[in-house]
Amino acid sequence: MSRSLRPDAALKLAGAAEYGVDLEAPGMLWGALVLAPAAHARLRSVDLASARALPGVVAVGPDDLGALLPGGGGDPDRPIFPRTEITYRAQPIAAVAAPTRELAERAARAVRVAADPLPIVADLEAVFPDWPGPDAEANPHVAAHVHARHGEVEAAFRDAEKVVRETYRTASIHQVALEPHACLAEVTGDRWVVRTSTQSPFGVREDTAQLLGVPEASVVVDGTWVGGGFGGKGASLLEPYALVLARAAGRPVRLALGYREEFLLGRTTLPAVVRLETAVARGRIVGRRVRLLLDVGTSLPGRDFATGYSIGFLVGPYRTPAFDLEGYAVRTNKPPFGPHRAPFAPQCAFIAESHLVHVALEVGIDPEEFRAQHMWTEGDTTPLGQPVGPFGLSAAFEAARSTARRWRAAAAPGQGVGIGAGFWSTNSGAGGEVRLVLAPEDLLVVQGEREIGSGSVLVGVAAVAERATGLPRERIRIEYADSSRAPFDSGVYGSRTTAALGRAVEEAAAVLLRTLGERMGAPGPVRLEVDGPSIAAVHGRDRRRVATLLSPDERRAGGLSVPGRHYGRSGAIDARRVLAGTFYPYTDFTGAAHVALVSVDRETGAVRVERYAAFQDVGRVVDEPSARAQVEGGVAMGLGTALTEEAIWSDEGTLENPGLLDYRIPTLGEIPPIEVAFIEGYAGAGPAGAKGLGEPPIIPVPATIAAAVRAASGAHLTELPLSAERVARALKLL
Amino acid sequence: MSDAPVRLQVNGLARALDGVPATERLLDTLRWRLGLKGTKEGCRTGGCGACTVLVDGESTLSCLTLTHEVDGGSVTTIEAIARDPVGRIVRDAFEREGALQCGYCTPGFVMALTGLLKERGRSASVEELVDGLQGNLCRCTGYVSIVRAARAAREAEP
Repeated sequence: MSRSLRPDAALKLAGAAEYGVDLEAPGMLWGALVLAPAAHARLRSVDLASARALPGVVAVGPDDLGALLPGGGGDPDRPIFPRTEITYRAQPIAAVAAPTRELAERAARAVRVAADPLPIVADLEAVFPDWPGPDAEANPHVAAHVHARHGEVEAAFRDAEKVVRETYRTASIHQVALEPHACLAEVTGDRWVVRTSTQSPFGVREDTAQLLGVPEASVVVDGTWVGGGFGGKGASLLEPYALVLARAAGRPVRLALGYREEFLLGRTTLPAVVRLETAVARGRIVGRRVRLLLDVGTSLPGRDFATGYSIGFLVGPYRTPAFDLEGYAVRTNKPPFGPHRAPFAPQCAFIAESHLVHVALEVGIDPEEFRAQHMWTEGDTTPLGQPVGPFGLSAAFEAARSTARRWRAAAAPGQGVGIGAGFWSTNSGAGGEVRLVLAPEDLLVVQGEREIGSGSVLVGVAAVAERATGLPRERIRIEYADSSRAPFDSGVYGSRTTAALGRAVEEAAAVLLRTLGERMGAPGPVRLEVDGPSIAAVHGRDRRRVATLLSPDERRAGGLSVPGRHYGRSGAIDARRVLAGTFYPYTDFTGAAHVALVSVDRETGAVRVERYAAFQDVGRVVDEPSARAQVEGGVAMGLGTALTEEAIWSDEGTLENPGLLDYRIPTLGEIPPIEVAFIEGYAGAGPAGAKGLGEPPIIPVPATIAAAVRAASGAHLTELPLSAERVARALKLL
Repeated sequence: MSDAPVRLQVNGLARALDGVPATERLLDTLRWRLGLKGTKEGCRTGGCGACTVLVDGESTLSCLTLTHEVDGGSVTTIEAIARDPVGRIVRDAFEREGALQCGYCTPGFVMALTGLLKERGRSASVEELVDGLQGNLCRCTGYVSIVRAARAAREAEP
């Protein structure tokens, strides 16, 4: 019988995997949040009396936190309920819990919120119709300002033969993990326990402890199976509310979002405006100016990461001798910005690539040749002065060009072929730790992450353990433990999991094999082999069952336990290039180049993707089927960003399409055949040179589709998504 | 209407359910009254297909179905899929092809494909199957492996 590609398949296909939404406990109450009725208002009062008059209902509002929380009310900078000012629509104002779901919903509706309207700022272009002036730093709408500069920028533009100026706009999008946020909380004495669907148990522990003002050690986060994360389940969202309700009720409380609320409260990518100017001389880029305004909703100053991280993607991965990059994170009356699979990078790649295609056509150079001539390779320097490491983008791009040539030769009239490129890092996070426990008959990998679906834990980490110990997969058990028992890990995000936990496994495995060698009186590591039901340690002709090598204490504890840890180093930034703000270095350089063949309907502007190919720089493939699945899934998700996905915010700060019928993600019939190829040999810092793969495959997709649409129809689009309406307008059909 | 018990065959077991309100959805009856949580709640508006079950062999969105509407009917959920001959083929195809990641949409896809194959049999074209699964959303796989599983299930011998 062939092994399934997924070790979790049988459980999930039996309907037996317990997700956050499935949690239940005896005596449990159902929680519900009371959401702000306006996007900006002065809060006068929150009257919980009518809710509390309902049978069995517990209600908590801003005035109750002082008594419920040991520290007197939680983090003063981030109160879980606003005390004086509502800053976005659907901001939680109070929370209720009741014996049934219906009663909880009734109780939430019974809460009376009195608030006086304040001016709503929902559109970042209304905040800064022109570029922010010198007094912008003092503007309360500025959450962050970043500015970097290098080279002789003025001279480059003065001496240029051609300067191309463009403005791009990108839409707000949502992760649309199919499982809404959900958790179950219970407070016993000073133990605050929450079971939750999360990408980061330790991140939720830290965040929840801070928000509630309780010691981190008294918060226990226990992960469930996760029904999709994509960045949306990386930080705490519902957990503090569920815990406060459980504390007030003295009973377990289940709190889950309905799908409409999932859209309303979700933290994700918000709109952006980018202006680019590129100076060209003698067929080469000589200068670039970038101006970025990124809507960060109600993100607090100091908590914006996206602006400083993403702005580099508006120059690279192309050699640009002189540049001036400036960005503002702009606060509006929307939920805080949150990560969405490669946060804001697909949008940046769309902008940078579409602009380069346009520049090349303006100066009469083949757009693909133009990009190839400027593309970074190892030894080049990033805008922030970091040396580019092993980087397979050029190899991926050349493979994409060769595919594109074949597809072009076979394309029908009205069809077009385009190429898009992009790159990403493997985020090291704060770090990752595991514990290997070698038992007489199997090897446990004890760690703190639940599988979110990508396979990074159950397949990726297991594959690394298999390679590092020589044991077959069926003798390796990935054992999850909650945050009070597991070794620390930063979380399943940033394409880091297999890379970081894998390195920790490699480290522990090396110690384990050496330790067994010492016990056998042999210099150097042993080999592990399966020996009937047992595992044997082998050194030369010496062969002993593991059971015989364990001390009595180890036998009692279940095996020989060895910790492994990996705290990655990230590169340095050249501070001389930074004029303002915080920038982040890259760790690993992971390139991707994609090709699309599209048809454009010349009456409706509708784009149909007919064929797709992805060439992914990966360092080293850890598990081929999972790697392929990451690329297929990333491409499909990127097609949504490219073509249909747009969260529409009204001027009143109301999300106008909070549902799956109006916010359209790709369906099965809209996905073209996807060819996937891996570029190996440009090593990353992960196990055996692997690079992270969760995010890179989504990055080039909107750029690729835009290039293909331009090739098919001549339409040059400067806004995402490339909806039929936008394409039709660009083609002057509307 | 809500006073009369609802009689259902659920995964082969006869159930008489008392006190089911007229507005209760089959999805909630299955998950919270009967503890069959393999059926997933997604959007609750018929837009994602995660809650798909079989009612009298036909694929049905349990979030848009009132429990009283199916009084006297027979309901099959993912928990019993392996006992259905067509369901078993579909389930095995998903396992073999690794046609899942987070697994949240998986029960809905398995039920929907089982319903389609029961209705159309092996004469169903791949296009018909693709068309019939358009109401089921998956955010992880890009559907590539799911289509592979659908092809394999269609070609499998019962």
